[in-house]
Amino acid sequence: MAQSNLALSAQPGAQAYADAGDDAARFGPRGIGARLLRNEDARFLAGHGEYLADLNLYGTMEVAFFRSPIAHGRIRSIEIPEEVRSRVFLLSDLGDVRPVRAVLNAPGFRGSDFPPLADGVVRFVGEPIAMCIAPTRAEAEDIAQQIFVDFEELPVVTDMLKAADGSAPSIHDGWPDNVCFVSTPGNGDMAQAERAAVVTIERDLHMHRQCVVSLEGRGVLAHHDRRLDELVVYSSTQQPHIIRTVLAPLIGVEENKLRVVAPDVGGGFGVKNNLQAEEIAIAALARIVDHPVRWIEDRREHLTASPQAREHHYRMKLHADAQGRILGLESEVIVDAGAYSIWPWSCAMEANMSAGIMPGPYRMDAYRGRGITVMSNKPPLGPYRGVGRPGACFALERMMDELARAVGREPHEVRIDNMVLPGQMPFLTIAGKLYDSGDFPESVRRAAEMVDVPGVRAQQKDNGKDGLYIGLGWASYTEQTAHGTNEWLSRNLTEVFGYEAATARFTPDGKLILEVAIQNHGQGLETTLAQVAATELGVDPADVVVRHGDTAVSPYGLGTFASRSMVMAGGAVGRAAQMLAEKVKRIGAHFLQTTADKVTLEDGAVVHGPRRVPLSEVARAAFRHAQDLPPGEEPGLSVTTTFQPESGTGAFSYATHAVVVCVDANTGLVKILDYVIVHDCGTIVNPMIVDGQIQGGLAQGIGNALLEESPYDETGQPLASTFLDYLLPGFTEVPSARISHIVSPSPFTRYGIKGMGEGGAIGAPAAIVNAVNDALHGLGVEINETPVTPRRILKAIERAAKGDRP
Amino acid sequence: MMKISLTLNGKPVTVDVEPRTSLADLLRSPGCGCTSIHLGCEHGVCGACTILIDGRIARSCIALAVACDGAEVTTLEGLGEDELTTQLKDAFHCNHGLQCGFCTPGMLISAREVVARNPQLSEEELRTAMSGNICRCTGYTGIVAAVSAVAASRASSCTSES
Repeated sequence: MAQSNLALSAQPGAQAYADAGDDAARFGPRGIGARLLRNEDARFLAGHGEYLADLNLYGTMEVAFFRSPIAHGRIRSIEIPEEVRSRVFLLSDLGDVRPVRAVLNAPGFRGSDFPPLADGVVRFVGEPIAMCIAPTRAEAEDIAQQIFVDFEELPVVTDMLKAADGSAPSIHDGWPDNVCFVSTPGNGDMAQAERAAVVTIERDLHMHRQCVVSLEGRGVLAHHDRRLDELVVYSSTQQPHIIRTVLAPLIGVEENKLRVVAPDVGGGFGVKNNLQAEEIAIAALARIVDHPVRWIEDRREHLTASPQAREHHYRMKLHADAQGRILGLESEVIVDAGAYSIWPWSCAMEANMSAGIMPGPYRMDAYRGRGITVMSNKPPLGPYRGVGRPGACFALERMMDELARAVGREPHEVRIDNMVLPGQMPFLTIAGKLYDSGDFPESVRRAAEMVDVPGVRAQQKDNGKDGLYIGLGWASYTEQTAHGTNEWLSRNLTEVFGYEAATARFTPDGKLILEVAIQNHGQGLETTLAQVAATELGVDPADVVVRHGDTAVSPYGLGTFASRSMVMAGGAVGRAAQMLAEKVKRIGAHFLQTTADKVTLEDGAVVHGPRRVPLSEVARAAFRHAQDLPPGEEPGLSVTTTFQPESGTGAFSYATHAVVVCVDANTGLVKILDYVIVHDCGTIVNPMIVDGQIQGGLAQGIGNALLEESPYDETGQPLASTFLDYLLPGFTEVPSARISHIVSPSPFTRYGIKGMGEGGAIGAPAAIVNAVNDALHGLGVEINETPVTPRRILKAIERAAKGDRP
Repeated sequence: MMKISLTLNGKPVTVDVEPRTSLADLLRSPGCGCTSIHLGCEHGVCGACTILIDGRIARSCIALAVACDGAEVTTLEGLGEDELTTQLKDAFHCNHGLQCGFCTPGMLISAREVVARNPQLSEEELRTAMSGNICRCTGYTGIVAAVSAVAASRASSCTSES
């Protein structure tokens, strides 16, 4: 169903996009909006995907990292047997290499250095200390086993609450405690809200630490290209250009002598969206040896030593009137960011983002947020699908269900009453976010219809029979995407990722190549960017080549993260293709003896009435026979340009999730019976791919809600280091969601597209934990942490039976 | 080093391997070149390295190469002409059964065996049968639809034949 919610038209043409008829009429039959099958499938289905471990460079030596076995200690000495000394590399063997210092340009932010290999001190189990090289990984690991390190063990910090209250010893030199940064977003008169409140709900909630788990681990291969005298770094990364920019000065190489290539990447989800210590170490090593060197992360390394995710503690206080209308929200989030600050996001990203988005889709007169980032002796925290928002959504949406219970209303009705209304768009939230378009209440109303609330309530009358309990859970959220210049500036980041770039060029046979700086690793961008070009140029998208992920093949750009590539790179491709189309039309019109405004581009040709000139003819003239061009027309058919959204505040997708679960009180197992998602991401470029992203995100959200946890003991040792103790959602845990779309195009972006890569993961933890609580409420159970494992459920039931409140 | 001989995708191969070398590492090495085998965990859980040993699905990451002396080994590279694999590839393509592609070869080989064994299985049975393979991208919907579609087409052809 198309729906126009546009209250303003910041970008010329946006209104037209929103108000026009169906997508095929607006964007062409194989353009934006078409359910096209993916161009990139063929190579993956043939088993021909070329991932980092598949690269085959002559003479490559494999690297095994020797990593710290302890969580915190000073290195007294390192013993390396003489016969392998030449194949072991410590920081001091790498020449001039600088540590990463990922900071925010914000007063009060405490910076710290993250060296690529340990510089005298280790601060988490798994921190790289040395690199060992050999023809095979197995032999490299043999060498690593011969290294002996003598440590002076130091006190270990693993409890974020102790890190936050200053009672734990500082892990970074010169810091008085382990608090890195505190952000305090908010506005409004909280005292007034407190006075007016009839109901005040207070809860502590906890989202435990987890891993990201791309199925392909991280990996880096580097070598010196003698012909070009350049260092080539292949990395399984989401952002090759940015990596080049920051890597170059750290290893003392000029940026024009460094090429970064992301080959096929087997899943990213954020963990490949940082400058990695291993990237620096491998690149630095390649400068001083005369052969390629490669490191492939194994699963144990991934689970214990790669950037991890979540680990939030919330202290929430919600003030409302007797009907459940929110008057004020106080929220403190403490995030355990681990031992180091990750570039470029800084370790404060999680807490800041959570505190900034906390008010969600709701109106309120007062909000007081505190985002507290603390350091600990665990692996550094990095971005993972949702970044901050799954935690914020979990905390607030748990509160909304408790609020509904307190005022005796259905949770979805309380949500509808509090939501920003479509007529209020664009809406500036109390936390300073500018919502661009949408009908939030409609997403709840439609989800309620789809999930059949009265039907579920009727089923619940049998709760308790055979120890089975049915519950209905809700979550509504907004998903900020395609963050522009203003947003990054407001976050005080050292990098500003507000645009994307593209080159659109024809080859002399009339075929189109798109060269983009983003990286496609499952999102279908080799198809959807071609659809954008098809919209502008009338070419067959199956025939368009999309090249990406390589600093040598595209203009400079920022990469694939934060649900930005479709909006940003799509916008850049759209602009470039449109500019190219103008030239193609001029040349074609010249052939057709008419003017450019009289012709259209259809099916690979310039068309004027019954007459047509194929693009191959236009390209032939442009590249090979300039004498056939219109007078004054430059040869060539290539355009490079950039795109940035009209507003730098982002395009906000949103959704409501409604889930029905059955909890077995005998075993503590949760089975999902029905999962409904009503979703709005503006103009949909490819419905098949959009639904695939939502469902894929949901699977990760289910992992977050029910299964995935990376616990540490008090000495900082990881307790989950294999897939036997780190559980992933599989075929039998992830049902197929029923998905419905609302379409409210963004007024700020080209074509009205909004990003949408993360939402599935944002809503699920809240919705599922709410459903479990709804199921078990009759037993006096309340659970406010993720994942809700069978052990936690059984413990909560046992505690409730004894009369203990959580 | 030990010398072993096996049949790889229909061709005889004789190689020297260390006793500790996994079949996956041997097959992925430049000499064999079967890079459709992906290593997602190297401890037999994720299924990305699934291949056929003597016609049955197996995890090449936890099979020792020396234990496969004399075996007939088939990887996705060797199933290019296989009718059922071709049907599954088409169905994965049509049902968006893959995103990053890393789990895909293992999924295809497991799905091939699941469908060949019993094309008349319910969705729940299919999900259980496929649960030895992990996909981190798709949330499984497209894969289930793809395998179901191929199973249904084979089930109907079984019925019409009988």
